[in-house]
Amino acid sequence: MSVFDTLGISASGLMVNRKWMDAVSDNMSNLNTVNPYEDEPFRERLIVAQAVDYGSGSGGVRVARAEFGGDPEGRIVYEPDHPLANEEGYVRYPDIDMGDQMVQLMMAQRGYQANLAVVERATNAYQAALRLGKG
Amino acid sequence: MIGDATSTALHAALSGLAQRQRVTADNIANIQTPGFLAGRVDFESSLRGALRNGDSPTVNGGTTARSLEPTNTNGNNVNLDQETVIATETGLRYQLALNALDGKYNVLRSSLRTQ
Repeated sequence: MSVFDTLGISASGLMVNRKWMDAVSDNMSNLNTVNPYEDEPFRERLIVAQAVDYGSGSGGVRVARAEFGGDPEGRIVYEPDHPLANEEGYVRYPDIDMGDQMVQLMMAQRGYQANLAVVERATNAYQAALRLGKG
Repeated sequence: MIGDATSTALHAALSGLAQRQRVTADNIANIQTPGFLAGRVDFESSLRGALRNGDSPTVNGGTTARSLEPTNTNGNNVNLDQETVIATETGLRYQLALNALDGKYNVLRSSLRTQ
């Protein structure tokens, strides 16, 4: 247990939320990524959060793994003029919902802000403690 | 005089409040973690008991228990409103204990000062 543990715990929270935002931006930027009908579509990236040393003291959170979400088949769209279209004129788009991604982005953003607020509070408390005994 | 019940009690309170601040940071960091139950720190009851019996309080940072409040669908029961209130209150209490300890040290300093 180090002296400034609270800051480390909040930093882990900041990191998880930032990675979540990274995943969302990856999903959003690939919203219109087209793959040939025969291939897999781009899959939505999901971040799985996991508590560090749950219940044993030190605390914090980390990204356990990233998982694929959405329909593995993607969305099959009829675009006969597309260069990647198969003989019947079909291509594969990823199954990513823009509204869902925006909601996730907001959740990650608010989570990031909540952790930052804790950093600010902890800093104030530590600074006050460092002034102790100065008279 | 320097390590008397007042300073030991304030030290125990500061240690318990720092632990509560840590656990609150942990709760907020895990606000989206599936299956995470919020931690709650209690140091007041043992401190109160020790002071009532005239014992010297132990500085151990209190005990952490898991909240048994209802969880949402992913098994998480961290409530941001509640955690923010606890964090603010803990910060204020921490400042209060620090001020009291500072006052105690000022008294000591005055008494040590030679005129």
